[in-house]
Amino acid sequence: MALLNPDIQNQVRELFADLAGPVQIKMFTQDFECSYCKETRQLAEEVAALSDLISIEVFDFVADKDKADELGIDKIPAIAIIGKEDYGVRFYGIPSGYEFASLLHAIKWAASGRTELSAAGIKFLQELDKPVHMQVFVTPTCPYCPTSVTLAHQMAIVSPMVRADMIEAQEFPHLSMRYQVMGVPRTVINDVAHLEGAAPEPMVLDKIREALAKS
Amino acid sequence: MLDFKLAPQESDAHEKAGERIYDLIVIGGGPAGLTAAIYACRARLDTLVLAGALPGGQPANTDMVENYPGFPQGVTGADLAQLFQDQAERFGARIELDNVMSVDFSSRPFSVSTYGVTYKGRTVIVATGANPRRLGVPGEDKFYGRGVSACATCDGFFYQDRTVVVVGGGDSAIAEGLFLTKFAREVIVIHRRDELRATKIFQEQAFANPKMRFVWDTVVEEILGDETVTGVRVRNVKTGAESVIETDGVFIYVGMEPATEIFAGQLELNEQGYVIADRRQRTNIPGVFAAGDVQDPYYRQIVIAAGTGAVAAMEVEKFLAEQE
Ligand SMILES: Cc1cc2nc3c(=O)[nH]c(=O)nc-3n(C[C@H](O)[C@H](O)[C@H](O)COP(=O)(O)OP(=O)(O)OC[C@H]3O[C@@H](n4cnc5c(N)ncnc54)[C@H](O)[C@@H]3O)c2cc1C
Repeated sequence: MALLNPDIQNQVRELFADLAGPVQIKMFTQDFECSYCKETRQLAEEVAALSDLISIEVFDFVADKDKADELGIDKIPAIAIIGKEDYGVRFYGIPSGYEFASLLHAIKWAASGRTELSAAGIKFLQELDKPVHMQVFVTPTCPYCPTSVTLAHQMAIVSPMVRADMIEAQEFPHLSMRYQVMGVPRTVINDVAHLEGAAPEPMVLDKIREALAKS
Repeated sequence: MLDFKLAPQESDAHEKAGERIYDLIVIGGGPAGLTAAIYACRARLDTLVLAGALPGGQPANTDMVENYPGFPQGVTGADLAQLFQDQAERFGARIELDNVMSVDFSSRPFSVSTYGVTYKGRTVIVATGANPRRLGVPGEDKFYGRGVSACATCDGFFYQDRTVVVVGGGDSAIAEGLFLTKFAREVIVIHRRDELRATKIFQEQAFANPKMRFVWDTVVEEILGDETVTGVRVRNVKTGAESVIETDGVFIYVGMEPATEIFAGQLELNEQGYVIADRRQRTNIPGVFAAGDVQDPYYRQIVIAAGTGAVAAMEVEKFLAEQE
C-alpha cells in the first residue's frame, strides 16, 4: 500500500515539474529496532519516484557506517537532501503530517540552491566563520513547526557553515529529554541557545548571533 | 495512522509584487479568508491570500471539529484546514505564507506589506482571526513553549503519564482538555467560575472522564518552576485562599484576542479591538472588508467565519463592478 494517496502524488508531481536541478535523497535505515524506519524509507522512495530529477540511495546505518559518518548522520531514520552539493539539510524521524511540506520545500530549494531568505539574512549567513548547528524539534501534528524547519533548512542552503536538522521529537525521546523539549517547535542552536515557537527570520538570526557569542 | 499534509503551492506572487495590482488581497488563511478566496476565484477575481504563520487558521491546531456541517462523523481540524486550502487552490487562489507587517489603506490601490515585499490590491478582505489570550501572570513568558502551551495537538505528546493543568472553562478548554487525557495521567481544569461555559455535550464528556478533575472559582496567579514547570500558584476568588497545584504543564484556553494591531489607526475598532463591520462586512474604508473572528466578538465558529468570508467576497465583487 502506498503511503501517499494518488491525489497527493499528483499534487507533488505538479510541484516537482519545475525543479531547477537534480536532487539526491540519501536515506539511512536499519531492519530492526527502529520505529518508523520502514515507513520513512517507503516515503522517501515514493517521493523520489515522483520526479525524474530525484534519485535515491538507501544505506544501512550499521553496514554503511562510513557513509553515515561522511554525512554526519548519527541517528535513524535519517534523510539527507543533497543538491549540487551537500548543503547540510537533514530530517531525523519521519517527515509526516505537517512536516511533509518541509520535505517538499527542502527538495525544491536544494534543487535550485536558492531560497526565500532576505538579502541581509543571506549576507550575514554567508559571512559566518564559525559552524552553526540548528536542531529543530517538531511533532507531525504541529502546524507552526514547518515555519521553523523550513527557515533553518534555507539557512543551511545559503551558508556552508550552517547545518540544519528536523528532529521528530516523538521518535527521539532521549534527545527530547536532553534538550528539555516540552513544546514545539523548539530550535536548539549549537547546543547553547534555544528558541521557542515559529519565530521570524530576524529573530532566528539574532539567536544565531547569541549562540556564536556564547560558544 | 500516518498522514501527509501539503503546504500551499508556491506562487509567483513574490516576483510579481511590484508590477501587479490584484483585484483582491485577503489577509489571513483561516476559514474566513479561504472561503472568501473560493468565492472570489470563482468570480474570476485575481486573488492573493497572505496566510501568515498558520495556514488553515485555528482549525489547523484543533483536534476534532464536530459541529461543521457536512461531516457527520466529525473531521480533524487539520484535515478541515487542508480541505479549505485545497478548494481555494483548485479555483486558482495564490496562497503565500507571509505575515503582513503593515498596511496602507489611505489610498487605492491599497498597499499590504510583508517582510520585504509590498503587494497592491484594489480591494482587501481582513481575515486575520484571533490569537489565544495570555494570562499575563509571572512565569508565563519564561515558560512559554517550555511547559506553557496553547496548542494541545502540538505539545500533548510531551505529557505522557504526567499531570497537566488546563486553564479555562469554554469549548476550547474542555475539548482540548479531553484530547490531553489521551496522554496525561491527570488533567486538572482550573476555572474562575463555578460552572463551565462549554457546550453541554463537552461538559457531559468531561464530567464522565475519570482523568479530568475540576478546580472551581479559581484563578492562576503565577506559573512556578525552575528549569521546568512544577506547579501553579492559584487563588480562590470566593474565599481569597491561595494554594499551589503541582503540575508538569499548563495549557491556556482563556479566550482569544482579535489580531488587529496592524490595522489600528486605519480601521475602526471597538473597545475590545475587534474590527467594526456592518452586515455586508464593510469597514469604515470603502473597498476594505472584514470577515471571521477578527470582526466577531460573539460567535467565533468555523461555520460563521466561512459564512462571513463568503459575504465579504460577494461584496468585493459588487464593489469592483460599481467602480468600473
Ligand atoms: C482550540 C480551538 C478549538 C476550536 N474548535 C472549534 C470547533 O470545534 N468548531 C468551530 O466551529 N469552531 C471552533 N473553534 C473556533 C474557530 O477555529 C474559529 O472561529 C475560526 O477558525 C475563525 O476563522 P478565521 O478565518 O476568522 O480566523 P483564524 O482561524 O484565526 O485564522 C486567521 C488566519 O489569519 C492569519 N493571520 C493572522 N495574522 C496575520 C498577519 N498579520 N498576516 C497574515 N496572516 C495573518 C493566520 O495565519 C490564519 O491563517 C476553535 C478554536 C480553538 C482555538
